[in-house]
Amino acid sequence: MLLKLAWRNIWRNQRRTVISVLALALGVAAIVSLFSVREIAYAEMIRGITKGLVGNVQVHGRGYQDSPELTTVVPDPLAVEARLRGALPGAQTERRVIGAGLASSGEVSTAVVVMGIEAAAAGSQTAFTLQEGQSLDAAPSHEALIGTALANELGLSPRGELVLVGQAADGSLANDRFTVAGIVDTGSSEANATTVFLQLVDAQSFFNLGQGVHQVIVRLPTDEEDLSRPVSLLRGALDLSALEVLPWSEMLPELKTAMDDKRKNQGLISVIVFLIVALGILNTMTMSTFERTREFGVLASLGTRRGRILAMVVLEALLQGLIGFCAGLALAWVLLHGIGTANLSGLTGGGDVLGAPMPGALKLVIHPGSVVSGGLTTILTMLAGGLLPALRASRMKPVEATRYV
Amino acid sequence: MIKAPALALAALVLAATADAAETPVGVPVCPSGEERPDAASLVKRIDQLLSGRSSVGVMTMSIKTPSWTRSLKLKVWARGRDYALIRVLEGGPRETGMMTLKRERQLWTWLPQAGRVMKLPSGMMGDSWMGSDFTNDDLVKGNSLINDFQSTLKGVEKSADRDAWHLVLEPTPSAIVVWGRIEMLIDRKSCLPLSESFFDEEGKLAREMKFSDFRQIGWRQFPARMTVAPAEQGRETSIAYSEIAFDVEIPEDTFSLQRLRQGR
Repeated sequence: MLLKLAWRNIWRNQRRTVISVLALALGVAAIVSLFSVREIAYAEMIRGITKGLVGNVQVHGRGYQDSPELTTVVPDPLAVEARLRGALPGAQTERRVIGAGLASSGEVSTAVVVMGIEAAAAGSQTAFTLQEGQSLDAAPSHEALIGTALANELGLSPRGELVLVGQAADGSLANDRFTVAGIVDTGSSEANATTVFLQLVDAQSFFNLGQGVHQVIVRLPTDEEDLSRPVSLLRGALDLSALEVLPWSEMLPELKTAMDDKRKNQGLISVIVFLIVALGILNTMTMSTFERTREFGVLASLGTRRGRILAMVVLEALLQGLIGFCAGLALAWVLLHGIGTANLSGLTGGGDVLGAPMPGALKLVIHPGSVVSGGLTTILTMLAGGLLPALRASRMKPVEATRYV
Repeated sequence: MIKAPALALAALVLAATADAAETPVGVPVCPSGEERPDAASLVKRIDQLLSGRSSVGVMTMSIKTPSWTRSLKLKVWARGRDYALIRVLEGGPRETGMMTLKRERQLWTWLPQAGRVMKLPSGMMGDSWMGSDFTNDDLVKGNSLINDFQSTLKGVEKSADRDAWHLVLEPTPSAIVVWGRIEMLIDRKSCLPLSESFFDEEGKLAREMKFSDFRQIGWRQFPARMTVAPAEQGRETSIAYSEIAFDVEIPEDTFSLQRLRQGR
């Protein structure tokens, strides 16, 4: 009954209602699309990080994150891996060695990062894409994979000869020759220009590390951004006096901060947009209740309780909100699907932002979070705009109101 | 009567030539007694002391870092400022036989395990040489102390019970150098450097070099032990010569790249 009344009331002045609903719809559409694009881009970036070289969580020798020294290692990585898998069933782990070196071919030489990887591990398959040649054999074979830009600089192609020099963990000068098995794209222009991948065992013996590794990468089956629970589980399973357990957000703190800052900024913009919309709603609702002063007076003198009048007017506001919200969602859907895929590669040059590989193309859809956030803001806006006129309408004195012209 | 002063004069000339035979022409004499000697000629003398026309030496280089300590036995052939060859006589299994060849401003390394020669990229000149606290640049740099720096005498100081001149060297405006300033303490008796402190462009101490174990070799006195300690805590590299000979003949092909490529 109340709903029916409210529904009829809002269409008594169609033009006014359409205008407020339209204002609301535009606001919702803007926020839902901005939110969706942002969150889809973030999710893609996070996927790039967690499926790429970084992983969801890493275990290091204590202090490695702050000052990555060749000698700061996880000394017994196999035991650590077993414990990690025990603490988080379903998680995948891989060991990795990272050292600095000089790579040379012919007369050209350049500074590189030498990365020893478990080539057979599932995670390594997604960390880079093979451009030429083939991947590393599972057995140590004195073979190397090199980044595309590095291959260019050194003038190397598959089967070419790569000479590496570096300082080993005992201070001695490591030097050896490797065959280029393949050329890879890591998704990061910096890594492409500087990275040499070796078989883990080859890298361990090159740097004289024994069994030691610098990182144990943990990949989780799901891709949630908040890792506090898995991290605390992993931390509980390890000896933290010798090791550190870090989620990607702590390894790339600038990126995490940048993401959070942008979210806050967009939140502020939403608040401002909806404040303006709310003022508009307040205006039209006040108008519409003023026009109906006599009506409310009659209702009240017929014995309608204040609560019901209040509820009716609030319901009018919420109904408009619902229509505006649905229209806004529809508009956002049309907008996002109209664009379809956002190609960011032109924007970023295929590079990386603060250590995260930048997604090349984004498939745009409405993000569920944006619907929730848009819905909540709509309700708040309509309440903010509608509550005051509703209160006024419900508090009218019947005698005065019926005499109002 | 006329002969006596002439004889005296002849004796003087003889004495002078005898001295010149010991200290070659062009090397400024040590102004040991002077309170305010000419700073530029002091630096020039040191510069020439530490490098002969040619030299062959054997030395032990000891490197100390917070995580490891090691030492290498090296043999060094050098000709003038432009050519040098350093060979690792004794070191780790992957290093023995390693050679560094300096030809003018370029460095080449023979890598015994790889069996290849690598040319050092110019961007790596500031990096450590063989894991020590010497940089590649230390090996490559020519006579830059004289050409690239303006030296002034600051005064007289005591350093480890020795009287020393305190010299400040500042880069000339056109010089391309990594240091903002070098301070030197020079022994007033022997004119030998006791220490050199290197400051970066912000004026912070970057590393300190100390010289000791002075030995007489021919006309020159030579510090057989040098220690360099960077500002970074817990690191130190020292080299101690066990043999050194100056102005010796060195076969022509010692400094040839072809020979280096064969690993000999």
